[in-house]
Amino acid sequence: MLSMKNISKVYQTEKVQTHALRDFNLEVEEGEFIAVTGPSGSGKTTFLNIAGMLEPFTSGEFSLDGVDIGKLNDNQTADLRNQKIGFIFQGFNLIPDLNLYENIEVPLRYAGIKRSERKLRIEECLEKVGLASRAKHLPQQLSGGQQQRVAIARALAGKPRFLLADEPTGNLDSLMARQVMELLEKINEDGSTIIMVTHDPELARRAPRNIQVVDGQLADFTMYQNKTIEAIAASAPVVEA
Amino acid sequence: MFTHYIDLAWRSLKRTPMVSILMVCAIAIGIGITMTSLSVYHMMSMDPIPSKSDQLFAVQLNTTDEGTDWWTEDNIALQLTYKDAMFLHNQESAFRKTASMKGMATVHMNNDELKPYLAATRVVGHQFFNMFELEFIYGGPWTIEQEQLAAPVIVIDEETSEKHFGRPNSVGEQIYLDDRSYQIVGVTKNWDIHTKYYDLNNGAFSGVESIFLPITLIEAQQLDNSGNTNGWKFEEIDSFESYLQSELVWLQFWVELPDQRTKKDYESFLFAYLEEQGKLDRFERKTPEYKLRDVNEWMEYNRVVSEDNKVLVGLSFLFLAVCLANILGLLLGKFLKRAPEVGVRRALGANKRQIFLQHIIEVSMLGLLGGALGIVVAQIGLWGVRTTNQEYNALASMDLSMLLAAPGIAILACILAGLYPAWLVCRTQPAIYLKTQ
Repeated sequence: MLSMKNISKVYQTEKVQTHALRDFNLEVEEGEFIAVTGPSGSGKTTFLNIAGMLEPFTSGEFSLDGVDIGKLNDNQTADLRNQKIGFIFQGFNLIPDLNLYENIEVPLRYAGIKRSERKLRIEECLEKVGLASRAKHLPQQLSGGQQQRVAIARALAGKPRFLLADEPTGNLDSLMARQVMELLEKINEDGSTIIMVTHDPELARRAPRNIQVVDGQLADFTMYQNKTIEAIAASAPVVEA
Repeated sequence: MFTHYIDLAWRSLKRTPMVSILMVCAIAIGIGITMTSLSVYHMMSMDPIPSKSDQLFAVQLNTTDEGTDWWTEDNIALQLTYKDAMFLHNQESAFRKTASMKGMATVHMNNDELKPYLAATRVVGHQFFNMFELEFIYGGPWTIEQEQLAAPVIVIDEETSEKHFGRPNSVGEQIYLDDRSYQIVGVTKNWDIHTKYYDLNNGAFSGVESIFLPITLIEAQQLDNSGNTNGWKFEEIDSFESYLQSELVWLQFWVELPDQRTKKDYESFLFAYLEEQGKLDRFERKTPEYKLRDVNEWMEYNRVVSEDNKVLVGLSFLFLAVCLANILGLLLGKFLKRAPEVGVRRALGANKRQIFLQHIIEVSMLGLLGGALGIVVAQIGLWGVRTTNQEYNALASMDLSMLLAAPGIAILACILAGLYPAWLVCRTQPAIYLKTQ
């Protein structure tokens, strides 16, 4: 379903070359719920951005549902992103001028969905996240947890096959974080594939599959089980400046 | 999607009201000043009689000695002598033609009811009205017989009729010019033309006449010319008869030539006439020289639109460009500040073209608002022109084409200013802003 082979991402400035991802390999099957962990700066968000086609990769092969992403132009990428991927961000990224209904409507408009169908889907999604009565509220009139639920509703409205969540509970207190996590689990049970970047080990443990990104490479989580942190650090690849 | 973009544009303008007002005002001032000068230019240069401007020709004859300097670009006088004009006027032909002179008279009713006033008159042939599409509402032009007999008949316009008789129809009534009475044979509509193209020697924008007399009255009643009179050699003029026979030029002459063949024939006729006049020793000239210019060529030749007007239009567009440069700066700031939102939209499936279009529609809306306000500014500007220069009274106004052009130019100008900011923001890499928003 999602396949990354030897993906590399290099950020180049005049003097410095930074390898954000190197020889990154990942296969994701339909219906999986994957938690992506790793230290800050290890390349988790870069991986998520590339998976969501938000930024190009430097080399390697990336295919989504059999489509070779490297060969798509901007319009095709935007269409594919709109059809197959839903995003949930740490900072919610709701558009402040639009009310909840209109925020959820944004991806549906870009998908060219008719007004009546949009209405149905939006109401359904708001119902799912428990905010049906707040449709006309602006984002700033909601709590952080509620805003994140709106973001989840927006991600779900397009009926994407993938949900990419970048620290979705990072800005929430533990109670709200738990509620959001329960919502994601419910969505996963309904059939959506979820890849979630998180720093929270407790949330990561709740995901059926855990992967760890260390220095731009995918580490096999199971191989580190029962090892000390020092041992894990010693086995990590060396990054050249 | 288009209406959605309009909605987004309107919300965006409301979100930053001060910046929006500043931009709309900048466009309005730029458009207002541009449209003021452009409207005057447009009125000056527009074809005054589009239905037949290519069929009406001003006739010029060079009846001066070889080497005589005239101030025109081709050294040919703009007007004709009386004898030439009347010779051409009296020729029998299938096409219309008329000699024309500007006169001046005191108009009164020979009683105390109406205060006498000085008015410009136009002394012409009976075909003048048809040639220049001056419509009659009552009566008609004098007949050819009346013209040949130099009958004291007159045509006035509706306004003059109302002024003297309190009604538009005054056919059959008498009106007095100086110390003579004339019978009214026709009442025309008020003549609504901006440029007095049939007599550019006597003020292109000085307003049309409202009283018309037969051309034959010049000789019969010794009517004075109140327009320009020019000469090129010394002549003893001691009587009205010698004035009429002199080489002084003071009459305009127009012909209506419906096709190229008629024009060719008329050119041949003019050539032969000048050749014959040369042989009569009126002037020393090897080759007869004449010119036939249609209405638009005539206006161009007479520089109805001066270089100053053109420079003014250029400067006003330059001012608009300065306004746009400021708007470009404001748009850059505004759009780039919105880059995080654009990042979200890109992540949610918008492609670059959609983002670009959204922003172009926003600047178009700015242009539309600025254009509408610009029309108000232009009206104030035109009022200022009318107030300070009476001659521009009829010219300093906006016709429908200019009213439509104003928002069009404003929108186009704003799109031009918004292209770079819109292009820049649509190239936003969404990933950069999604984490930091």
